[in-house]
Amino acid sequence: MKLVALACAACSAAIILWYLVRRPPLGRLTKVLLLGGLGLLPMVVALTGNIAGYEYTLSRPFCGSCHVMGPYVRDAEDPKSQSLAAIHSRNHRFGEQSCYVCHADYKIFGAVTTKLNGMRHLYRYISEYAGTGPDGEGGPTIRLYKPFTNDKCMQCHSTAAKKYVETHGDQLEQIRAGELSCIDCHNEVHPTALSRRPVAKKAEARP
Amino acid sequence: MRHSQVKKLVFLSGIATLVAVGLMALSIVSPKPIYLVVAMSIGQALGTASLALFLLAIVLDLQGAASREASSEGAIEAHRESVNETKPAP
Repeated sequence: MKLVALACAACSAAIILWYLVRRPPLGRLTKVLLLGGLGLLPMVVALTGNIAGYEYTLSRPFCGSCHVMGPYVRDAEDPKSQSLAAIHSRNHRFGEQSCYVCHADYKIFGAVTTKLNGMRHLYRYISEYAGTGPDGEGGPTIRLYKPFTNDKCMQCHSTAAKKYVETHGDQLEQIRAGELSCIDCHNEVHPTALSRRPVAKKAEARP
Repeated sequence: MRHSQVKKLVFLSGIATLVAVGLMALSIVSPKPIYLVVAMSIGQALGTASLALFLLAIVLDLQGAASREASSEGAIEAHRESVNETKPAP
């Protein structure tokens, strides 16, 4: 996909540069060539670039490209870590997309709302976290925009499975209804996150 | 005048497309969040605008060609009429 996009971009640039340098008369052949260089090829670049870009935005390296996500991504990629993020990242079903799979909204327009929130992340990153230390220690504590809902866990963990029913028997209905959150008990999600460090907790306790 | 306008429009369209394609290629080669956002917004808006400029240039060029053709046909017709008038009646 990337190769197709780059090849089309190169062809389009070559046609345009040829026109700009040579300045041939606008005959039929020149117009057809320019329609390819100015219209069709850039459209292919935009389309394939969008797909390649969208796919890359689902990956963990993309999430980790903002320095404030460093502690989260380092923990998720640590083969010795026993945090939920690391365990799920080691699962081949998540692969490189472990951040997105657990944090994306699980609804019909989930991908759209998730990407809109991504734009919000970018705005807040630029306005609040730029130049706040290697892991963003100097910035405000990172929080989710809304509570982490159980449906994200239930994408894979069925609440009807026998083992699940046996171990969660008392709270089963509460969990299914979303009254009790999975991460209330399974709370070792991102143990190295800045918000879990003592300094951040002290700052939070201050009025 | 119209022909030079058409050439200018195509030139502008070419420059805008080069910038747009460059931004989109940059986001593919180096997919950082800011590059991706710039490519998907500014890059694509520039690309669309440049295609619109090119199509406008083509329409203007075709209109110019049609009017040139009409004026040359008119001139030929006028010339024929003047030749007929000067001919002595048989």
